[in-house]
Amino acid sequence: MTSVSRVLAVWLTPVALLAAPAALSARAADGLWLGLTLTLVPLIVLGLEAGRPAAPVGPGRAERASLFPVVILLITVGVLLWANIVLAGDVAAWLGAPRWQGIVLTAVAGWLLTAWQPLRRTAPLLLSIALVAAVAPLLQVGWAVGLGPIAAWDRVATQAAFRFPPASPWVTTGRSLATVHGRAPLVFDEVHRLTAPAGGVVRARTLDGNRLAEIEWSLAPGQSVTLRAGDELVPGGAVRLRFEADKRVPGAPASGIAWAEDPPRRWLDRLGLLVTLLVGAAALLRAGLTIRLSRDGAGFVAGGLLLAFVWAQAWAIYAMLQSPDLFLGGVTLDRLLELPGAALFAEPWRRALQAFLLVAGLAAFLASSVALRERLGALDPTGGGEIGRDPGLWAGLFGGAALASLWPVDPWALTLLALGGAGCALGPATLYPPSTGRAGLATTAGLVGLVVFATFAAAQLRGAGGALLGPAVGYPALVGAPAGALVLWLGRGRVG
Amino acid sequence: MRPVSTRSTGVVLLWLLLAGFLLLGALPNQTASIRLAGLSVLWWYGGVLAPVMGALVAIRWLADPPPAPPRDE
Repeated sequence: MTSVSRVLAVWLTPVALLAAPAALSARAADGLWLGLTLTLVPLIVLGLEAGRPAAPVGPGRAERASLFPVVILLITVGVLLWANIVLAGDVAAWLGAPRWQGIVLTAVAGWLLTAWQPLRRTAPLLLSIALVAAVAPLLQVGWAVGLGPIAAWDRVATQAAFRFPPASPWVTTGRSLATVHGRAPLVFDEVHRLTAPAGGVVRARTLDGNRLAEIEWSLAPGQSVTLRAGDELVPGGAVRLRFEADKRVPGAPASGIAWAEDPPRRWLDRLGLLVTLLVGAAALLRAGLTIRLSRDGAGFVAGGLLLAFVWAQAWAIYAMLQSPDLFLGGVTLDRLLELPGAALFAEPWRRALQAFLLVAGLAAFLASSVALRERLGALDPTGGGEIGRDPGLWAGLFGGAALASLWPVDPWALTLLALGGAGCALGPATLYPPSTGRAGLATTAGLVGLVVFATFAAAQLRGAGGALLGPAVGYPALVGAPAGALVLWLGRGRVG
Repeated sequence: MRPVSTRSTGVVLLWLLLAGFLLLGALPNQTASIRLAGLSVLWWYGGVLAPVMGALVAIRWLADPPPAPPRDE
């Protein structure tokens, strides 16, 4: 059972677990596609006929070839840890604690599991803790709302508009704008009065006739400013702001119907996501490994993935229903680790349920970090998996990831980057293995795939794209993986 | 040529489940948005039917056959 729980823990990192409800909240159809691919793609990859196990380390070219997947997966694991530690920092900041506290807590806990021998094989236990701690608040919220998931979905999908509830912290005490880091612009749909309880500087872009102007107000404590429809609040300032109750949430879909409908055809974007997750899963779950699933094992993996998707759907629906302010400035992963519905529970029950959610997130992270280390160690059969247990190496990895996490980035984008890069380097050779004794061809194909991936990923960072190249720039694995597969095909043809 | 195994059958079925979502979204006149028993058709398929079917397919077809019992000499 250890290997199947490792599969689940490697795949369902906290970032991946929260990406589905975040996408479902932002746009129903896109979120469903993400959730469905996250659920089915690992099963497809595990169902592929068993590949050859990792080649033993030998001299010369064979040694270099067997080092390639180790280096790629080591970097991938580092980036995945980075993404999840970034999320921990974001959650800490969202809940009002200093960002560094979330980062240090998760990084130190993750590293301790590496250093302390008895705690190294705890992934199944940690997964169980995460499951119980995530399901308990969901059941409590469902019970308190008094609606089943289908009735709650219907209620969300028929909302005329998403408005600030009177009990929202954005309305009662106000929150700092610095915590808003989604991608949606803070554009107001109606006249809205903002109050700065502690004073501060508010910046907004306003449309004056046809002229766009940026205006700055220095507000005294308790002073308000009124924005009109079409005005845009500039995010990033540290000022704490209170919004008006029952006004539309800036950045939210126009209505429940608009949220529920399928957007105009986005075939290539959906294909890009599918290819990224497919090759990423091949690299992460199968490269260099032979996994034999018993019927119980297959059921355990499939059941775990299904349960995670069901949780994601229900959590997203109840969060949108009870806390429409989730949409303010765009849905981000960290907000989904806050218990929805400020008025649903009294203290100290609310605090206890919030603690459950945080425990679930931390347990899922620790399970993933243990499983990722075991995964890497499994690539080193001759060294007895030493690479997965080296405290110095892992201290460097966790330390580097923690330092990098001080710089806020989008954790899901980082995860897609890690999966896409690893997938382009290792995925084609895993899905389409070259003949025995041609490990060099797999390395060449991986390098070509990685270079193509990196080229398009760099274009993504520079904001390049356009209608034709947009999906390839948005999902660089869409071109990187076929490039690697082409090299494999040409190499096979030459031998043939 | 590779023999068709139960695993291959399972993988093909999982691909079909994914393809079904894309096809449903491509139907004309926003057919996928029609509400049935409280949920849209797209949500019934992508959120309920396809994931549950995927799990059943995995249990039925993705497992390796149990090792053959040793034969007595």
